Amino acid sequence: MSYEDEINQDILNSKKLPEKLEISVLRYFWQSNPLIGKKTDSIPRFLRKIDVLSNFSENELRILAKYLHLRKFQPGEVIFKQGELGVGFYLLYNGYADIIVENTEGTDEVKPSSKHILTLEKSDYFGELALLQEISIRNASAVSRQGCELLGLFKPDLEELINHYPVIAAKLLQSISLIVANRLFSLTREVQELKYKLSSYEKDQDASN
Amino acid sequence: MPQISINTKRERFKLIFFISTLLLAFIGLAAMPRVSIPLLLGYVIFLIVYPAVPTLEKLGINRVGSIWIVFSALIFFSIYPFVKVVPTVTAEIENVQYFLPKIEKYVTKKYEELRIEVREKTSFEIGDKYFFQALDWIRKTSTNILLNIPKILASLLEWIFFIPLIIFFLLKDGKKFKRGILKLTPNSIFERFYFLSHQFNKKLGDYIFAKFVEASIVGITITSGLLILNVRFALLFGLIAAITNIIPYVGPVIGFIPGLLFSLAEYGPGTTLGAVIMLFVVANAIDIAIVFPILVSKVVDLHPLTVVVSVILGSQWLGMVGMIISIPFAAALKLIAQEVYKEIYQE
Repeated sequence: MSYEDEINQDILNSKKLPEKLEISVLRYFWQSNPLIGKKTDSIPRFLRKIDVLSNFSENELRILAKYLHLRKFQPGEVIFKQGELGVGFYLLYNGYADIIVENTEGTDEVKPSSKHILTLEKSDYFGELALLQEISIRNASAVSRQGCELLGLFKPDLEELINHYPVIAAKLLQSISLIVANRLFSLTREVQELKYKLSSYEKDQDASN
Repeated sequence: MPQISINTKRERFKLIFFISTLLLAFIGLAAMPRVSIPLLLGYVIFLIVYPAVPTLEKLGINRVGSIWIVFSALIFFSIYPFVKVVPTVTAEIENVQYFLPKIEKYVTKKYEELRIEVREKTSFEIGDKYFFQALDWIRKTSTNILLNIPKILASLLEWIFFIPLIIFFLLKDGKKFKRGILKLTPNSIFERFYFLSHQFNKKLGDYIFAKFVEASIVGITITSGLLILNVRFALLFGLIAAITNIIPYVGPVIGFIPGLLFSLAEYGPGTTLGAVIMLFVVANAIDIAIVFPILVSKVVDLHPLTVVVSVILGSQWLGMVGMIISIPFAAALKLIAQEVYKEIYQE
């Protein structure tokens, strides 16, 4: 019988458990498991699961992972602020991040307020425009919720990637263009819808007058 | 609704720790010139040779292999000048001490003639106290330099072992150092710090490369010109002109003085002297009119006054090396000041 089963049996029989579990023994067997890798190995594995990076080969993901910066944020810590100059693209490795838009142009009646737009979760990404624009001003703020881990890629990294691994850089830029194109597409749809709504609203107004 | 707030205490602690680490590193470097000067030189050479590594990597050679190729090439190409140029330059410097009395005699004679002429024409006696004091000072300093040559060579020997080591490890582990520093950087300033340091490094690399090319062009022009004119110590004067050329504004003038004095004493006011003056003027004209606008001015845009002030401060702090590094240092300060200015005045 395994140690685990033995303990389970003891629990079922409502026997008294040993005061101190053999943690060191458990840890030894756990760590000697060849399938458990180090954390750095799991970043390429994490990247594999992201849709927009599907055109990368395993080796390319491994190289890309070397250029990413793992940053840890405390609960409520600001990742970046709206209106700040941005140079980084982030992937959510762990935890949640809130995207918040602040209404800074507050008049006397309407005070500056912040509006929660959406919550991003694991393997979501944000800030991709910062890599593409010459001078990129953040459109919204990002705040860590309950603490999160991010993988950041910054302009200097992209430059270095272009110099050292042009193929990977091209694939990465392709992925980022894909993200931007998708966002642009949905944005165009939204604008069309709003325009249609606006025109029908104006017609209604004219009719009622 | 989530509120935007910085986790103040912890973040502030991180920020203070990070900034004080950076400050301590700077103070440490400033306090130990024996280590920091070869470190700086190693870093400068690293910046010049580093672009070759990605080029080799693109050809399919792996990173370690391309580092070894770059490093071996660097060693190979620096051994030749050391074996060939150093003995020649040393011999020339040693020969200079035999020419120094000649120059001194020439200057004293000219001064005596001038004194007599002034006395005859205006019956005014020029005192020679200051003149002999100045002459004495020059004699003492030049003897000092000559006596110190073994000492300089000794430190050069130390550098020959130390600097390649620094360059090799910068090539090999430079990325790890950078990662280590970035890991320490607090979240609130991470993006800005990373981008600024990257921009500064790029600027510094471009500046050093441009200056290196500029100094080589001036040095080669003057050396070959002097060789054609058959002036002695051509290599030495070319080398002096190349090194002093790195110092803005005053450098070319300083580099010109030894050559001018020597040819005045050796050949007298004649065609050779005229040709030497022409040569220096032409070399500097090429530098100012063609090389500088194309290469250097695009890299650093500092006000001329800032340049002069930073050169003076640099010379006071680290001597010759200080004069050379003052410009990139001032450019870095300007970059940081601009960022802080934006931060304060934008909101």
